[in-house]
Amino acid sequence: MNASLELGPIFRTLLRNKMGALLIALQIAVTMTIVVNAIFIIDEREALMARVSGVDEADSFYVNSNGFASDFDNPNTIQEDLRQIRALPSVRNVTTINAIPISGGGWSMSLQTEAGEGKDDVATAVYMVDHHGLEALDVQLLAGQNFTEQELRYRDGSEEGWPQNIIITQALANDLFPDTAIDEVIGKTTYINNDEPMQIIGVIDALQAPWIGWEQLENTMLSPEYFAFNNSTTYFVRAQDGMRDQAMRAVEEYLAQRANERLVRGMESFENVRNESYGFHAAMIKILTIVMATLVLITGMGIVGLASFNVNKRKKQIGTRRALGATQWQIVRYFMLENFMITSIGVLTGAALSIGLNILLVNFFELNRISWYYIPIGMLCLWVLGQLAVLGPAKKAANIPPAMATRTV
Amino acid sequence: MLKMENIAKVYRTDVVETHALKEFSLEVNEGDFVAVTGPSGSGKTTFLNIAGLLETYSAGRYFLDGNDVSGISDAARSRVRNEKIGFIFQGFNLIPDLSLFDNVDVPLRYRGFSSKERKQRIEQSLDTVGLSNRMRHLPAQLSGGQQQRVAIARALAGSPRFLLADEPTGNLDSKMANSVMTLLQEINQQGTTIVMVTHDPGLAAQAKRNIHVRDGQVSELHEVNTEHTRDVVNG
Ligand SMILES: Nc1ncnc2c1ncn2[C@@H]1O[C@H](COP(=O)(O)OP(=O)(O)O)[C@@H](O)[C@H]1O
Ligand SMILES: [Mg+2]
Repeated sequence: MNASLELGPIFRTLLRNKMGALLIALQIAVTMTIVVNAIFIIDEREALMARVSGVDEADSFYVNSNGFASDFDNPNTIQEDLRQIRALPSVRNVTTINAIPISGGGWSMSLQTEAGEGKDDVATAVYMVDHHGLEALDVQLLAGQNFTEQELRYRDGSEEGWPQNIIITQALANDLFPDTAIDEVIGKTTYINNDEPMQIIGVIDALQAPWIGWEQLENTMLSPEYFAFNNSTTYFVRAQDGMRDQAMRAVEEYLAQRANERLVRGMESFENVRNESYGFHAAMIKILTIVMATLVLITGMGIVGLASFNVNKRKKQIGTRRALGATQWQIVRYFMLENFMITSIGVLTGAALSIGLNILLVNFFELNRISWYYIPIGMLCLWVLGQLAVLGPAKKAANIPPAMATRTV
Repeated sequence: MLKMENIAKVYRTDVVETHALKEFSLEVNEGDFVAVTGPSGSGKTTFLNIAGLLETYSAGRYFLDGNDVSGISDAARSRVRNEKIGFIFQGFNLIPDLSLFDNVDVPLRYRGFSSKERKQRIEQSLDTVGLSNRMRHLPAQLSGGQQQRVAIARALAGSPRFLLADEPTGNLDSKMANSVMTLLQEINQQGTTIVMVTHDPGLAAQAKRNIHVRDGQVSELHEVNTEHTRDVVNG
């Protein structure tokens, strides 16, 4: 049936009963503003969290050995430890390392393509690893070659300068030599400390720096060194697939054998490293989700409340409308349209407020500008929320019997 | 036009069973003006509600315009109410937030008329009840008699065959009541069948036909002034 939508009468009725409707519209606007910005922030945080470290996170862990005995022979201990740990059946590979990716602590240096002071440079994180570092860190060589055992040196803090050869990530290669094919990067020289040359012998796919908030997070170089300041050595262990926990136990057991000479501490799974580093983001996502859910619930209840109030107030009117020929669907539709109008005022205001809040967040908290499509999606969600919330009261209204028109005075 | 055969209506609550109508039989012919009287609680409103398809009945048969309306769906009943029946209530039942124009518009929108046709019908029916100059007013700005006239305009706007009125003058003083009665008589003379419940024997006497309801049954049927009224109409 070509039924007219009653838009005019519904709107004029709303104008005569503004307060309740405006309060709900305002509530919808505020809810939308917060939900839209919260979802935007959550999406951004999730995108940050989704970045891959490059490491085999599920199977990796690290542990620190710190020799305290006065005659502790660290260079030989390292060789023995690496050999023994590598031989464990649950272990896939191990390397010494100076810092743990995305852990929050590490080294950074500046590299430049021309020697000399004041030349353009590129910042990079530095990982000192042995010739098993690539497999232990689960990185792939895209070009060039790995370090050889012969070129590895022992670094206890007394050494000057840097090794001759380094391996760098593709991202760092691009920063150093833009528009250059990876193969052509191999063999190129870069300078550290302004003028100490190092040759790039390999390019790897991806390995993140220790600092997740760092702009050059993907810039990483590997340097062939056993890092062991003050007899303290960190082993980065990659277990066989799915065997991390066994490997952690086995490594701990092995290292504990010389407990009278050294302290073994800080064993931590990489999973844990990630959870700690991204803990703030995860907590933020959780809080925002709770805030959103609460707001949506309260607003939904507010809509239900206002609609129920209106249904009760209009019982006789609804009965009269039924007596005058309204079908149940026409009654339901009345309340849905009324809600649609209230929600529309809310979401249009909400669209403006959402952008406003985002501008504040951009200016004061250095957040990013919101992508435009969050606004229409937010509007749509609240329209749907409104329609769902009003459905119950509207159905109740439709069940008011037509005889209500004559049975109450 | 309207034919009820042994209609029964039972209201059941947890505590009591009320037999509001029992073996209620009545025939109303096209063009009639029937006044229904009876003591309070005798079943007059129940009869009117069933006649107007506002309520269903427990037993018996009801033919409206020759159609048995027993088993039809809620939506179909809504359509019959909308197209064939006009209602006038004791409490006027105007929608307080809508102007007179919008009030009269309510059943026309359910009918699905074009806005042009609705406008024409609204203006015409408000004109019939003498309120066309107050279309933009709200019901609260009118006297009770005027409000009932708006309600009559609303009932008439869709050109129903059948007008049902439950104590339409119950809330009005006698002057206003008489003017509403005169209006109903005019409407009846245009051919609309009217069934009106009333407490007022004086008003009932002005109808073409009177029925009396007692204990849910038509207890007394007498035709008042029928010949006289017909003479007046014909003369
Ligand atoms: N919805 C209802 N539920 C229970 N009893 C009802 C209901 N409506 C009417 N009744 C009862 O049915 C009887 C007839 O009522 P009604 O038709 O309203 O009488 P009248 O209009 O003649 O005063 C009364 O006893 C009344 O109490
Ligand atoms: Mg009654």
